[in-house]
Amino acid sequence: MDRMENTHTDKNFEQKLKQLQDDLIKMSEIVEKQIEIAVNVIKTKDSQDAQLTQNLDEQVDVAERDVRDLSFEIMTLHRPVASDLRLVFTALKVSKELERMGDHSRNLAKRATSISSTFDDELIEQMYSLGRNVQSMVNQVLDSFFKKDELKAKTSWNQDAEIDKEYKSLLKNLIERMHNKETSVVDEGTRPILIAKSLERIGDHATNIAEEVIFNITGHYIDLKKSDFE
Amino acid sequence: MVEQVNSFAIKTKNVSVHYGNKMAIDDVTINFTKNDVTSLIGPSGCGKSTFLRCLNRMNDVIESCKVQGEFLLNGVTDIYGDSIQVETLREKIGMVFQKPNPFPKSIFENVAYGPKIHGLASTQSELNDIVMESLNRAGLYEEVKDRMDDIATGLSGGQQQRLCIARAIAIRPEIILMDEPCSALDPIATARIEELINELKEKYTIIIVTHSMSQASRISQRTAFFHLGKLIEHGDTSKIFTKPDKEQTNDYITGRFG
Repeated sequence: MDRMENTHTDKNFEQKLKQLQDDLIKMSEIVEKQIEIAVNVIKTKDSQDAQLTQNLDEQVDVAERDVRDLSFEIMTLHRPVASDLRLVFTALKVSKELERMGDHSRNLAKRATSISSTFDDELIEQMYSLGRNVQSMVNQVLDSFFKKDELKAKTSWNQDAEIDKEYKSLLKNLIERMHNKETSVVDEGTRPILIAKSLERIGDHATNIAEEVIFNITGHYIDLKKSDFE
Repeated sequence: MVEQVNSFAIKTKNVSVHYGNKMAIDDVTINFTKNDVTSLIGPSGCGKSTFLRCLNRMNDVIESCKVQGEFLLNGVTDIYGDSIQVETLREKIGMVFQKPNPFPKSIFENVAYGPKIHGLASTQSELNDIVMESLNRAGLYEEVKDRMDDIATGLSGGQQQRLCIARAIAIRPEIILMDEPCSALDPIATARIEELINELKEKYTIIIVTHSMSQASRISQRTAFFHLGKLIEHGDTSKIFTKPDKEQTNDYITGRFG
C-alpha cells in the first residue's frame, strides 16, 4: 500500500507533504517535456523549440526552489521522521538531479540547432536514438519514484549501461570519421560530442534518481553495481 | 552464551499483565542491553507504563494486577522469584516518576534517606560523600550546595526532578526506570534532564517511558513501540525513526493515528 494513502492526523502536515509530491510531479513533467523537445531538435534543428527548452528551464529552476523551500519548511515546522523524512530527503535530492537534467537538455538543444544540414545522417540517427533511450530511461525512473516501484527503479538504473555503450559507440564513430577527415564531421568540431555527452549525463542523473527512489522505499542506499536485476 | 547473558541488564519473556479480566500486556518479550537508554513509546493505554512498573515490581501493590512471564535481572536473577527481596530489587532498579515527588524534608535528607535505610553508609562522613556524589552526578550539587538544609519542595520543578534522580542513584542502582520524567518540565529543564540521562548511561541502564517521540529519538539508543498491550517493534532508535520494519510503527511515529 502506498504510504501516502494513510491519513496523517496533522492535516496541515499532510497537505504540505502532498504539495511536495505535487511540486515534484510538476517539475518532472516539465523536465520530461524539455528532454523530449531537445531530443527532437537533434533532428529538426528547430530554433523555436530550442528556445522553448530555454524557457522551460526557467520554470524548472523555479520548481526546484519551490521544492527546496517547502522541504525546508516541512523539516523546520513538522520535523518529519521515517517515511515522511525519507520523502522530504528524496524530494530534495531528486529535484537537484532534475534541475541538472534540465540544464543539459537546454544546452544540447541549443547546440543541435547549430549543426549543419549537411551533417552525416547516420550520426544524427545515432544521436537521436541515444536521446530516445535516455528519454525512455528518465520516464521510467520518474514513474518508479511516484509509484514507489523498486523493481522499476532498478530496471531503469540498469538501462544506463546500454546508454553508456551507445554513447561510446557514437564517440568512436565520430572520432573515426574525423580521422578519415570527413569534412561534414570535422566542420562541426566538438558540437556533436558535447550533445552526446549531455545525453549521457542525463542518463547518469537518472541513475542517481533511481538510487534515491530505492532509498525512499527501502531506507538504504545500495550499491546497484552489485545487484542482480531479477 | 555467557557473554550474551551478561550483556542484558534485564531479560523478559512472554510477559502478560492483567488488571482483573482486562489484558494490559499481551505476550511481550524484550531484552534491555546494559548501559543503553531504551525508550518505550506508544499511545496512552498501550501498556508501556504498566510494563515499566513490572520491571521493579511496582505493580505488586495493585491487588487486581496479575503479572505472568519471565523477568531476569542480569540474565540470571528471577525478579519475581524468592531469591530476591523486593527492597533489594528496588535497590538495584530505581525509579523516577512523571511528577517530581521529593519528600517534604531537606534537600540533604531526600538524598540521604535511601542510603540510610539500605545501610550504605557506616559514618556520617560516608553519607555526606554519597549525597554529594549523587547530587553531583545528577547535575544539581552546584545549585544547592549552599542550602542543603532547605526544604526540597522549595526547588523548581526541574531541580526537584534532578533531586529525585539524585535520590534514585544514591542507592547505587544498576538500572533506572523513568516514567515520563520530563512531562511536567519546561524545555530548559527538559534539556538538562536529557543531558543528564545521556551522562548517566555510562554507569546505568536506563529505561524510559516517554510520550515525546523527539525525546525518544534524542536520548535513546533503542526504542520499543507498544500498541494495545503488544510490543510492535523494538530496535535501534536510528532505524525506528528512519525505516521502521512495521507499518504500524511508521504510522505512529509519523503521526498517522487515524
